[in-house]
Amino acid sequence: MIKVENLKKSFGLNEVLKDINVTVKPQEVVVVIGPSGSGKSTFLRCINMLESITGGHVYIEGIDLTDKKTDINKVRTEVGMVFQQFNLFPHKKVIENVMLAPMKVRKISAEEARAKGLALLRKVGLEEKAEAYPDSLSGGQKQRVAIARALAMEPNIMLFDEPTSALDPEMVGEVLEVMKQLAKEGMTMVVVTHEMGFAKEVGDRVLFMDGGLIVEENIPSELFDHPKEARTKAFLSKVL
Amino acid sequence: MKKLKVVSSVLMVAFLLILSACGTSKTGGDEKKTVRVVTDAAYAPFEYQDKGEVVGFDIDFIKAVAKEAGYNIKVEHVGWDPIFVEIKGKTADIAISSITITDKRKQTYDFSVPYFFSKNEILVPKGSAIKSAADLKGKVVAVQNGTTGQEAAEAILGENSKDLKKFENNNLAILELKKNGADAVVADNTVVEEYVRNNPNENFTVIEDDGAFEKEYYGLLFPKGSKLKADFDKAVKKVIDNGTYAKLFKQWLKKDPDIQILKDQQ
Amino acid sequence: MDFRWDLIVEYAPFFAKGTLLTIGLSIAGIVIGTFLGLLIGLGKLMRNKLLALPFNWYINFFRGTPLMVQILLIHFAVVPPFLGTTNAIVAAIVALSLNSAAYIAEIFRAGIQSIDRGQMEAARSLGMTHVQAMKFVILPQAFKRMIPPLGNEFIVLIKDSSLAALIAAPELMYWGRAMQGQYYRAWEPYLTAAVIYLVLTLSLNFLLTRLERRMATE
Repeated sequence: MIKVENLKKSFGLNEVLKDINVTVKPQEVVVVIGPSGSGKSTFLRCINMLESITGGHVYIEGIDLTDKKTDINKVRTEVGMVFQQFNLFPHKKVIENVMLAPMKVRKISAEEARAKGLALLRKVGLEEKAEAYPDSLSGGQKQRVAIARALAMEPNIMLFDEPTSALDPEMVGEVLEVMKQLAKEGMTMVVVTHEMGFAKEVGDRVLFMDGGLIVEENIPSELFDHPKEARTKAFLSKVL
Repeated sequence: MKKLKVVSSVLMVAFLLILSACGTSKTGGDEKKTVRVVTDAAYAPFEYQDKGEVVGFDIDFIKAVAKEAGYNIKVEHVGWDPIFVEIKGKTADIAISSITITDKRKQTYDFSVPYFFSKNEILVPKGSAIKSAADLKGKVVAVQNGTTGQEAAEAILGENSKDLKKFENNNLAILELKKNGADAVVADNTVVEEYVRNNPNENFTVIEDDGAFEKEYYGLLFPKGSKLKADFDKAVKKVIDNGTYAKLFKQWLKKDPDIQILKDQQ
Repeated sequence: MDFRWDLIVEYAPFFAKGTLLTIGLSIAGIVIGTFLGLLIGLGKLMRNKLLALPFNWYINFFRGTPLMVQILLIHFAVVPPFLGTTNAIVAAIVALSLNSAAYIAEIFRAGIQSIDRGQMEAARSLGMTHVQAMKFVILPQAFKRMIPPLGNEFIVLIKDSSLAALIAAPELMYWGRAMQGQYYRAWEPYLTAAVIYLVLTLSLNFLLTRLERRMATE
């Protein structure tokens, strides 16, 4: 479903991703962990080309993103993304946030988009906030709206970039709950997070990144309980 | 209405304070009194700035007259509109700036005896249908705002006619004529004659119409009731009589003055 | 000091005519200037530096030279070749529009750049094109932030339109100068003109404040 080959990314002279090779299968939940500055967010952002790619290839369902002929906008409709800072559109109501892209990109009617949007808001438990503006929501509510907004495009893949890092602790749970539900429904997900509990419980596979490389990858139980690399051990001893 | 009067007085006082900070006439230890002369040095060859220094026929003339009258003078370029504000507010003693003596102006100011004869003329492209002042009717005329050329044109076209374009100065008015924005320019003979002389290739010609345009005389401008007027009137006559006037006229305007027409007015 | 109210009364019809033209020039300048300013602002934001260069220099030229010179140039050198004659009203509208467009372009650019990068990323990640993201997400938010500086620019424009008197466009200041030229009195015409300008700018201010408040409550 996602195939990353020899991915390299530099910002000027600073090489952030050195040589990343990952394959994500349909319905798989891959969790990416690692210290800050390890390149994990950049890696995630390369998967939908929010960052230009310096070298290597990224394939989404067989389409090479680095190919100049690829319509990146079309690919992005299949890849939803949830951001650390939510990035809701503050000038639009909650329901309009969810309806906007389906109407403008998928060109569906307003009625259809609204019906679908309300269903998604119900799914994340925020149907009653449909007519509110994002400013009036708590952090956890905002992030759930952001998830509903991404799902409205009916993507096959969801990318989560530290979705709970900007939240107060008591709100982390409600967001993770929605994500667990999604995983259960079979969504293909790549999640960058510091929530080790979530990684253990939901992840099919965990990647540990450091210094622009994938240092170690394994099923959660193995990686957390029997890390092989020294750097993995050092990191886990700090966060667990 | 009373309120607005207060506001305008306050503005006036503020304005005067600023002006006085810039320097007013003072009686020094010297026996000779220094008078402040203001001008709008944007009207060559009468008064203009030569590398920042105010020079011209008017300037040399007022210097000769002041010397004759026994005063020191300090000439300052202040611009056209401020001349009238300053003289009215008595922050300046005399203005010399090719100012035509008119009855309207006499209501508010005093003038010296005339020192210069001038008349308005019409500047048109060669071959224009305009042959006399009367032909200006229905044509677009460009003038300098606030000049007697404007008044002369308004006498034919009607006051504030839509066919009248008032510009900041004669250069802009003539430019408008050149760019087909106007059919004629009405201005002082010195201006239009000088222009045609200096720009023979532009195919403009001057139309005189002594029947339609009144004779004009320039005078020194004083505040109403100024004590300087008597001294300067005497000195103006003297400078004209003793030949200094003719010398300056020849020097600046490259021709001989018509002294008799001035004498007739004195 | 004496204040000749009778002269103001005499000139009242001209001040009224002049005020109408001043309003017309200002509205035309604001509308055309805003439209051009948006295009130029977006042009300056283009990532290709070479393509952005002309927009950059447009802004440099019109912000960096006196409006008075621009008006004279446009009136005597730019408009005549097109119309075969001068036209002060056309020249004034062109000059005011081109000049304000430069300032408005900078207001747009600053407004757009003030919007968090995450907004563009979120819109693009949903599959919107750059143009769609601009139209539906960035510009509506940026516009809200642009209202105060735009209002400022519009007020400056109203007052700047008085420079059209230079080329004999019969607007408010032109009639003020005409009255001054006729009666050799400075305060009656200029204070009258100033009061009318004040009324115009205060009215605009009132409208803008209301617009700002309405957008804030949204």
